[in-house]
Amino acid sequence: MSADPALSPRRSLQSRVATLVFVAALLVFPAVYHNPFALHMMSLVAINAMVALGLQLLFGFSGQLSIGQAAFYGIGAYTSGLLTTKLGVPFPAALLASGVVASVASLLMVPVTRLSGVYLAVSTIGFSILVHLVLMNEEWLTGGTFGLIGIPRVSLFGYTLRNPAYSYFLCVGCALAVYAALVRLERSRFGRAINAIRQNEDAARSSGLAVTYLKSQCFVIAAFIAGLAGSLYAHQVRYLAPDDFTFWKSIEFLFMVVIGGVGSLFGAVLGAAFVVLLPEWLREIGDYRMLVFGALIVTAMLFGTRGLAGVLAATGRALGALMRRAAASG
Amino acid sequence: MADALLEGRGLTRRFGGLVAVDAVDLVVKEGTVHGLIGPNGAGKTTLLNLVAAFFPASAGTLRFRGEDITRHGPAQRARQGIRRTFQNLKLFAEMTALQNASVGLHASNAAGVFDAIVGTRRHRREERAIANASHAALEFVGLGQYSDVVAGALAYGHRRLLEIARAIVARPTLLLLDEPAAGLNATEATNLSALIHRIRMQGTTIVLVEHHMDVVMSVCDTITVLNYGHKLAEGTPSGIQENPEVIEAYLGHAREPAHAGA
Repeated sequence: MSADPALSPRRSLQSRVATLVFVAALLVFPAVYHNPFALHMMSLVAINAMVALGLQLLFGFSGQLSIGQAAFYGIGAYTSGLLTTKLGVPFPAALLASGVVASVASLLMVPVTRLSGVYLAVSTIGFSILVHLVLMNEEWLTGGTFGLIGIPRVSLFGYTLRNPAYSYFLCVGCALAVYAALVRLERSRFGRAINAIRQNEDAARSSGLAVTYLKSQCFVIAAFIAGLAGSLYAHQVRYLAPDDFTFWKSIEFLFMVVIGGVGSLFGAVLGAAFVVLLPEWLREIGDYRMLVFGALIVTAMLFGTRGLAGVLAATGRALGALMRRAAASG
Repeated sequence: MADALLEGRGLTRRFGGLVAVDAVDLVVKEGTVHGLIGPNGAGKTTLLNLVAAFFPASAGTLRFRGEDITRHGPAQRARQGIRRTFQNLKLFAEMTALQNASVGLHASNAAGVFDAIVGTRRHRREERAIANASHAALEFVGLGQYSDVVAGALAYGHRRLLEIARAIVARPTLLLLDEPAAGLNATEATNLSALIHRIRMQGTTIVLVEHHMDVVMSVCDTITVLNYGHKLAEGTPSGIQENPEVIEAYLGHAREPAHAGA
């Protein structure tokens, strides 16, 4: 049967087709529904999905619970905002710099990777609060509570992306690139190693894995992605305030991962869509929206720990079984 | 042959007031199967854990192939060729048998994050080699047909074998087996003896902690008997079986500590 041993389960035809359909739908969306606000919201989903994907690697794969991803997101956003407004750095360079600065900042967390569980979580919250305070109080640099205004639109190769569809394509494109990279990472030596660390650190260590180094790599990668997302956010909303990057935002990223399904990359994307879009849809009910949002999160958790991705997979399996039965009887 | 592969001098481990291993000298010769036996609480597993650096020694030194490794951590020792299994299984429960075995090869490969994302030639070459070697290790222990089964779903005896596959996949110089026969039935224990013999034939030196006397007596060249953290006796299987002190420790006025394990 297994003449060629497979380290990663081969992807089924259904899942390949589903991926293709999903990507195609994302690409034609602006043509079908050219509503600037909808495109803006979808761009925000893509930006948040990037951070959630990074956190999925950090928490879902390597098992390190961080409630501080907003710090790296904020560092990336301000890096890009400051470089473009104050120094006139072109966007592609600012985007890359945001990732680099955020990942360098994450090196501060290396000593913390020796902690685990709640201790790690609490120290990442501390880091998130610290970064928020710096953004708020270093007025000479960040503009303090007034925020950073006048961030230019993205311009690529001399073209300014005025059309919301173009910035949508930029954000979705970046999110897809991150997604593809993480899918490959998940199915590699590195991916197996960090999964092994999550499942049994003692066994991983006695198999020769440099546990602290691998865990730190996860922090750096997740921060790099959060930094890129922060840069996209800065140019999407074109105004940054410290309150966009409080530890509440970090908790939102954690919601995305947990609601979407811990350990599932696609789940992180679904979770991001849920957390970003739902409060918007609920806007009509005013102040009650956060109440409903909270209740929905609790309900989603009652459905099991596999999140939206788990529900989707179960639905897919049920549909498949139904179709097979129909085919057999018909 | 007959050179000391592993040389422990005055190895001591204290847990609070308890001295679990007290100034034990352990010399393991290359190419042999070296048994560690003794009543419950004698310090066998503690001694094995000191060799694996699962925790540091309170005193004593350890040399491996002539090099002082006393201060090396568990991962470093694993990379130097000392691999182990655990008494209470420690597998990667959500990963397949093949993936579990593949983790044992992590340190012998180099493709990193960048290689995986870009899909470099090095990444593809290594992945293929890892898959083949891992599969060969599963075949070697008799789990060839279970390579796609998630470790948590394997039968108990198979999980024990999977731990051995993960430990030997990188062809270690020294293999530490911590009660590999625990919970196995008679047939499985006989198969285990044959497996240990085959691992040794590949050139791997083995330290075996075991209660199952049939296994110990059939595979060991040298046996060290521990009692209350001290070395009680050392010798060949037949010599040990006739040693009056050993017989007393096992059968004489039994005063075994109440707690099991360690």
